[in-house]
Amino acid sequence: MNNLIVWVIGIPLLASLLTIIWPRRANVIALLTALACLLASILLTYQVHAGGPITHALGGWASGLGIALRIDAFSALLLLMAMLVVSAASFYANAYFADPLKQVRFWPLWLMLIVAINSLLLSGDLFNLYVTLELLGLSAVALTALSDNRAALQAAIRYLSIGLLGSLVFLAGVAFIYAGYGTLDLLQLAELARPDALTLVALALLSAGLLIKAALFPMHFWLPAAHASAPAPVSAALSALVVKVSVYILVRLWLDVFDPALSPAATLLLGILGGMAVIWGSWQALLAQRLKLMAAYSTVAQLGYLFLFLPVIVALPAGELRDNAFGALLLLALTHGFAKSALFLGAGVIQQQAGHDRIADLGGTARALPLTTFIIALAGIALVGLPPSGTFLAKWQLIASSIHSQQWWWIPVIAAGTLLATAYLFRVLGHAFGPGDSVGKVVNWGREEIPALTLALFASVILGLGSAGIWDLIVDGRIY
Amino acid sequence: MIDLLWLMVDALLVTLLLILGWITCASTDIKRGITLFTAFGLLLALIWARLRAPDLALAEAVIGAGISGALLLRAINDHKPLGSSTPQRSAWMTWSINLMALALFCVMSWSMWLTLDQVDSTRLSQLVLSQLDDSGVSNPVTAVLLNFRAYDTLLELAVVLTAVLAILALSPMRSAFQPAGVLLTGMLRWLVPVLIVSAGYLLWVGAHAPGGAFQAGAMLAAAMILLHQGGYHSGSGLNLMLLRVLLVIGIALFVGIGLVMMLLNQSFLDYSPGWAGLLILVIETAATVSIAAALTLAFVGGRPDGWEPVTDSSNPSNSAEFNS
Repeated sequence: MNNLIVWVIGIPLLASLLTIIWPRRANVIALLTALACLLASILLTYQVHAGGPITHALGGWASGLGIALRIDAFSALLLLMAMLVVSAASFYANAYFADPLKQVRFWPLWLMLIVAINSLLLSGDLFNLYVTLELLGLSAVALTALSDNRAALQAAIRYLSIGLLGSLVFLAGVAFIYAGYGTLDLLQLAELARPDALTLVALALLSAGLLIKAALFPMHFWLPAAHASAPAPVSAALSALVVKVSVYILVRLWLDVFDPALSPAATLLLGILGGMAVIWGSWQALLAQRLKLMAAYSTVAQLGYLFLFLPVIVALPAGELRDNAFGALLLLALTHGFAKSALFLGAGVIQQQAGHDRIADLGGTARALPLTTFIIALAGIALVGLPPSGTFLAKWQLIASSIHSQQWWWIPVIAAGTLLATAYLFRVLGHAFGPGDSVGKVVNWGREEIPALTLALFASVILGLGSAGIWDLIVDGRIY
Repeated sequence: MIDLLWLMVDALLVTLLLILGWITCASTDIKRGITLFTAFGLLLALIWARLRAPDLALAEAVIGAGISGALLLRAINDHKPLGSSTPQRSAWMTWSINLMALALFCVMSWSMWLTLDQVDSTRLSQLVLSQLDDSGVSNPVTAVLLNFRAYDTLLELAVVLTAVLAILALSPMRSAFQPAGVLLTGMLRWLVPVLIVSAGYLLWVGAHAPGGAFQAGAMLAAAMILLHQGGYHSGSGLNLMLLRVLLVIGIALFVGIGLVMMLLNQSFLDYSPGWAGLLILVIETAATVSIAAALTLAFVGGRPDGWEPVTDSSNPSNSAEFNS
């Protein structure tokens, strides 16, 4: 059964074709596909846990000549998170798009987005990663543009051009790596990597392309408009998954493939940009007038935390200290995925019920939409980092690791980011629990609230309590 | 003497390319810019041919210059001048963009200089040539695209399909072209059959010489686009179910064959020995059809009547919920 790694890409691809042929049943096909992918990712994670990393040589060719699909603990956990988010968002979308016309347009592109995420996480080849990035960018842009309004179209066009710029820069880096090493296979590159000038230029180009796509400060300018104007289930996937898989490639390249070649100065720069992203993103989230815009700026900030880990991890000696820090990085990425998707789905319910998402006019939301308010509060707990959420453990570990690596200066950044996050969360909750009736009369949104609640519970409770399993997988999986 | 002559030709080509590139970027009239860009593509195709990369030359000529030019011109015709004026860049912004581009150019040139003395860079091409006999085809480019790295090609087909899905989702039916005059109709009668036969030739020859599905598909699409422009409106009378099938059959057969091979031989797209040549031809034929359908739909630039099974006018008020 080592073929599961192919099926998680093949099933959504075939399903997307099927929804083109048979658009009337597109939602049923897509929901079954999402569940099948979820099941496959659970089994794959179990296999990685039991037997270590899995490699599938496509076409039966030796790696180097052919392309290899590969999964280890790092990609398995991200895949599992992605499929949970995608499944919940699919059920949500089935209720969200009341207009059958929207459904016909949405599902084939949504399934292509799933293909892109899965093939990216499982790819073991640098050029193949570029192809998956193209597929990811294109399907994400098309889905963003599905909210038929001018703002969304403008955001989508900007997203498209900035994404293409990122892809081209990344491709230039791939070309230099190929010219220098004569192979594109990541495992072979990890063996051959040497710290020469060509490698550093190539790595800089690869990273620049990925940083544009990952929206690290100051390349975040395209993100808030795109994420805030997309339809709610799409926003959830964009913020929770699409930017995060770019960070995944970046971490993979810096910590796994090119470890000998990288200089501490470069990771320090990434850390500083990450710190600025935390402060700037949180501050903008506090100033945002609309709920979805606040959530989008919060994504800018939360992605910043992930980059704080890089200089810390590089400075730590290989072994338990490093494993702990890496586990925390992964835990933070997973928790943010669940929390941010839950927040966007909750915001989508409010937008549908109230017809707007202006934070100042949210009075009475807690009375009209108690469950949605609860979802937003739970997601907020996970974003701020209160116990027992995964973020709490991850930030705790980040502070401990900063002290171990004698980089205490990250601690005030983390503290300031956390305080600002508390402020922007309580601003929303304060308005939501306040008096007012602008949200309108009570309607049952259960078909949308239950998937969102599931994600919020994963973010705030389940991941935090089950985080020991993540560290087990990391230590067993030996990512680097 | 001959060498010197070729050197002069090469120098001329490169100089022309640089000049064309410059005036394309500097052109303020967008239509003129597109025409120049098409010429730039043709010149680039010649340069690829001089670099002994005929596959790239063909792809650049057919797709880079031909189809892209047609798509760009089509998009320009849609461009309605917006009420608000286009934002003016400040001088500071322009200069910083120029400086960044210059810095990038210097770094890239320096790195390309560094790659010249790399010994490892030819390793993969040697590996490809040594395994060529097992690939089922004798053209190394086709061997890489359809066998060694077939998975990349599969995902590229998915990228093309996604682009078309985006166009179909975002853009309603377009008005058709007027029927062409006598001259164009007469030319079409000659040109379209020639294009179709050429596409078939490129597809067939791809196994052992430059050619293949992408070039053939683009050429087939060129025939369809010419017909469309001549007023042979492809939206009417065309069976939409057939169009759907044509659009997806390339990927469907590709994945289907890959999965069957996986059940037989352990890994995805692992062609059985002796069958590789035939399977590659089947996949390429289906891919050609799908690429042609996709590029034609991209040029037509909107969903044909009745593409969406629910009527377009069903519930326009529903979109209000997305406007905030």
